Amino acid sequence: MDFFKYITKRILQVIPLLIIVSLISFFIIRLSPVDPLAELRLNPSISQETLDKEIKRLNLDKPIYIQYISWAKSFIKGDLGYTSAGEKVAVKLKERIPNTLLLTAIVIFMTWLVGIPLGILSAIKKETAVDRMLTVISSVGMAIPSFFFAILLLLFAVKTGWFPAGGLTSYNFNEFGFWGKFIDISKHLVLPVVVLFTISLSGLQRQMRANMLEVMDSDYIKFARAKGISEWKVIFKHALRNAINPMITLLGFEFAGLLSGAALTEYVFQYPGLGRLILEAVMKSDINLVMASLMMGTIMLILGNLLADILLMIADPRIRGAR
Amino acid sequence: MKRFITTIIVISIAGLVLVACIKRDVPEKVSVKFKTPDLEEIIYPADEKNVTIDGVDYLQSQAPCGKFGGELVISTIGEGPKTFNPCNTKDATSSTMAGMMYDGLVTTNPRTGRVMPLLAKSVEISGNDYIVNLRQGVKWTDGTLITADDVMYTYKEIVFKGYGNPSAMDAMKVDGQLPDLVKLDNYTVKFTTSKPFAPFLRQLSYPIVPKHYFKPYSDKGESVFNAFLTPDTNPKEIVSGGAFKLKEYVAAQRVVFERNPDYYKINLKNEKLPYLNKLVYLIVGDSNNEILKFEAKEIDALALRGSNVARYKLKEAASDYIIYNLGPDTGTLFLVINLNSRRDKNCKPYVEPKKQCWFLNRDFRAAIDWAIDRESMVRNIASGVAEPLFTAESLNSIYLNKYIKGHPCDLDVAQKSLEKAGFVLKNGILYDSCGNRVEFDLYTNAGNLEREALGVMVKQDLENLGMKVNFKPVEFNSLVNKLTNTHDWDMAIMGLTGSPLEPHDGKNVWTSSGSLHMFNQRPAGYAIDDRFDWEKELDKIFSEGALKLTYEERKPLYDRYQTIIYNQKPIIYLYSPIRITAVRKKVKNVFPTSLSGLLYNLDEIYIQ
Amino acid sequence: MSNIIEKIFEDKFAKIAFLTLLFLYTVILFANFIAPYSNTYSNRDMSYAPPSKIYTIDESGRLSWPYTYNYIREYEPSLMQTVYKQDRSKKYYIKLLTNGHLLSVENGGRLYLLGTDINGRDVFSRLLYGGRISMTVGFLALLIVFPIGLLYGGISGYFGGIVDTLMMRFAEAVMAIPSFYLLIILAAILPGGMTSVQRFALIVVILALIGWAGFARVVRGMVLSIKNEEFVLAEKTIGASDLRIILKHILPQTTSYVIIAMTLSVPSYILAESGLSFLGLGIQQPDASWGNMLKEAQEFTNILYRPWLLTPGLLIFTAVLSFNLLGDSIRDILDPKSQKRT
Repeated sequence: MDFFKYITKRILQVIPLLIIVSLISFFIIRLSPVDPLAELRLNPSISQETLDKEIKRLNLDKPIYIQYISWAKSFIKGDLGYTSAGEKVAVKLKERIPNTLLLTAIVIFMTWLVGIPLGILSAIKKETAVDRMLTVISSVGMAIPSFFFAILLLLFAVKTGWFPAGGLTSYNFNEFGFWGKFIDISKHLVLPVVVLFTISLSGLQRQMRANMLEVMDSDYIKFARAKGISEWKVIFKHALRNAINPMITLLGFEFAGLLSGAALTEYVFQYPGLGRLILEAVMKSDINLVMASLMMGTIMLILGNLLADILLMIADPRIRGAR
Repeated sequence: MKRFITTIIVISIAGLVLVACIKRDVPEKVSVKFKTPDLEEIIYPADEKNVTIDGVDYLQSQAPCGKFGGELVISTIGEGPKTFNPCNTKDATSSTMAGMMYDGLVTTNPRTGRVMPLLAKSVEISGNDYIVNLRQGVKWTDGTLITADDVMYTYKEIVFKGYGNPSAMDAMKVDGQLPDLVKLDNYTVKFTTSKPFAPFLRQLSYPIVPKHYFKPYSDKGESVFNAFLTPDTNPKEIVSGGAFKLKEYVAAQRVVFERNPDYYKINLKNEKLPYLNKLVYLIVGDSNNEILKFEAKEIDALALRGSNVARYKLKEAASDYIIYNLGPDTGTLFLVINLNSRRDKNCKPYVEPKKQCWFLNRDFRAAIDWAIDRESMVRNIASGVAEPLFTAESLNSIYLNKYIKGHPCDLDVAQKSLEKAGFVLKNGILYDSCGNRVEFDLYTNAGNLEREALGVMVKQDLENLGMKVNFKPVEFNSLVNKLTNTHDWDMAIMGLTGSPLEPHDGKNVWTSSGSLHMFNQRPAGYAIDDRFDWEKELDKIFSEGALKLTYEERKPLYDRYQTIIYNQKPIIYLYSPIRITAVRKKVKNVFPTSLSGLLYNLDEIYIQ
Repeated sequence: MSNIIEKIFEDKFAKIAFLTLLFLYTVILFANFIAPYSNTYSNRDMSYAPPSKIYTIDESGRLSWPYTYNYIREYEPSLMQTVYKQDRSKKYYIKLLTNGHLLSVENGGRLYLLGTDINGRDVFSRLLYGGRISMTVGFLALLIVFPIGLLYGGISGYFGGIVDTLMMRFAEAVMAIPSFYLLIILAAILPGGMTSVQRFALIVVILALIGWAGFARVVRGMVLSIKNEEFVLAEKTIGASDLRIILKHILPQTTSYVIIAMTLSVPSYILAESGLSFLGLGIQQPDASWGNMLKEAQEFTNILYRPWLLTPGLLIFTAVLSFNLLGDSIRDILDPKSQKRT
């Protein structure tokens, strides 16, 4: 029962957060001098009537707070509104979210698969050559501007012909069989995954190393060692379990972070994901689209954290007891 | 041991540095080995003919017969289509896509630019009457016949009501009045304009839509109609009539069309066109990505710009593509000066009064024009792939005023012009007659390498005259807001795309009440007549020009408008890029023209 | 402090990183002196000229004082290609320490160590001037982030209760907006009519607005644990004011964390500036920053044929890497736990 109470409480906490986020972002965007109709205005064959109609449709002639209220009303009703180009925001998001989830899931999976063992390794081999090398390598990964790395990789793809030049699927994708489709998507995913993997690996590896070191330093590990349990067992049976708990918390943040961090990479690779969509929407001040995606990002972050908490409660009996 | 290794490393690094520094002077051999491919003269096919077989009025292409089947993959830059509703398109990509699926009554001859019939079998013009005879036996993709009812519906219930994009309605108005439209029989309709109106015939290129498919939506009101045929519509449901029908749309990735097996165009062997089984548009975000896709052989055609041209020209002989030079583009780049002397709601002038004095002075503007080094712009920024521009009409326009020859950059003339206007140059700093230092802002849209580089050059050019120019690239949408709403700018570098066929399309820019009259933008519904004399003349030219029917009558008027702009210089033109395109050799029946571009005849093109 | 530097020098990587950064900062500090050209110089006949070749052995094979040739541009109309050829009719000798410049060349000669950009500006000189912006933007942002973060986190943690809840909810809301988008939104708001100095300052402020919340949260956590320690409680019984306790007694306890966070967050600001510039929202032309110079290198043909335009990318990489390595080792040095371990 406590468990459900806790979850309800957490979910209720989300509401003020959403209100603040929406207020901040709505007013910042609307106060900016960016004109959502710029492209139309610069088209000589678009008449004043068209412009007036668009201004009406987008509520641009009303004061900001009224715009916000009408936005908030429809948002609560579940209506995300229309983009400045007249498409349904919900449809646009629906087209993109699966692609972004796919990319994000693979990247997170890969970074965990590689980052956690590397973190453990460098903690065990603390201050040896192996540790130093791993630190330097991860620093190198962190130091390349993502868009630049992406551009170089694209060039590499074109020069060698090993990978397609951006996108997610080939134009004749629907004619492939299941395996054909699988291979096609995999080929398109390799380069964006490499870029995002390189960037996010180092953070995870460092975090894991730090956690591991902290746990290894704790009294009960010392005690376990004193008891004469083999080093191998100490590390994997006792230390690892405790070191990995904080990482689960991190997972939630990582999920939301990738959503934002992937924007430039998606942009360069022409990946049809959410990041690129939001990036373009922000540049054009496409308010409904930006707001909907920011709200989504926030909800995803909170859900991620909640999920992490629940996982943690399941994984760690001490926390369960404490609550 | 460790010390030993360190020493060795240090010595070897020092050695490497030394070796890198010592460089022998050996003459470089610059050998440019290339073979310009033999230029094949493009033999254009004759104009299409009407042929009637078994009671169906076909349109016969005169292009060489080709092979059926095959796929053509091309690209569209941007975010892809926003709608497939041909009546509601507001951007070029959506119009192109919808244009694949819905034909207009008439179209433009790609070589001469004259209007020629398409879905109409013929158009008879007598006085203000336009009698349109439709093709008989032509069908929509669901098998329904295309009849006068569809035409009546399209115009009466969509265009004239201002549904979708009301610009079409605006363009059809003659003196604020819509034309009369009556149905004469099942295959004939008659338009009657209140006055002779030259651009009218071209307006008939508006896509005709199937009444039985569209009417249920338009009946539900405008908002339902505007949300109709969004890109996520199931392609199988769509009823269309163009050469291609929609097969698949994948958001932000591609639009796939397949051939309409029952299209009314046939080849010389009377086989139904188009040849292509599939036509794929890849949606690419920017030109850089487009090039990569072409390099990776993912697309079959590519528009080349700047220094890319040299790369592809060099490799052309040994490659699988042909490069076509289509001549100057319809796009123009220009410097626009704010001549606005009005005040905002708080009585604050949009432009500082002292700056108004400068900008309103014709000699000041002339000095700027003479100081600008267009030659260097073309050479550096466009890598030589452009032509200097001095006229308001683009260089491929059939209304281009050929008597405006332009001039080279000449600082002496510029300085004399400034002296004449009362400006004084002291120690390399320019002052106006009241002793104010000449200093103003120059805007352009940030993130565009070409425009930013242009801004840097214009700044240098004007600083040679002693002016101080604060170059400020700003985000594109903010810039447009400045130009059209807040008016608080001094000068800006912008680009627009004009129509090479119909100068009247530029009326939003040139007439004093236009919504894009950037250099002296009046608020909507502005009642005070504060036009300059030359603005009055422009207004007159544009209203008269539209009412004259023949090219011969119209040409002198539009020549005059270009002369006015050239003399008054509210907008100083810089250059027009030259359009160069590469297309794979396997694509046949390509007849590029300056007016219509490379792949306008997708129904005639085939893959070998 | 000297103790820290001593310790840094004990670590090979940190030592290299420290020296690299020292070198970079020295070079950009003396940019006026080292750069052969001013930051407004441009030669429009030399757009995209390749790097000057410097020879030390002349044609006849004898050792010579370094000299270079000028380039001449030729346009090949049939190919629409611009070609640079060496003008071998005259040698220009390199001169050291003349006219207040470290490196220059005889009159009439042109010395482009790293070629030129589209406007015919010397890339090497612009790299130095651009470095001034790129390498300081992070530090300046930190100067704003830290006082705000410290105070915000300090107050929130110290008072606790409803103040804490409200303040933390707000900070969380700021953190919940994906930072990169917030960055873009804010950058897009910047009014158009700004001078380059103003723009630079505002970009610094924007970067700071993104970073403060996370930092404040951590500070709050630390304050929460410190405030119950005996010496704070003792101060309270004496009757010291709350602000005094926060500023004088609690915040100083967070110093080592602050230093670690500083070195580790500078690189993220450098990267953020380059990302903004890539989208055209960062430092604007004609000013140089490594980010906006790198933007020019994005073009396909530029990467292929003008590799010298990629040098800003290399410098961003070097600087960020050095900061990361240095930060790592400073953390190891300052972190009390790691001290205990070693």
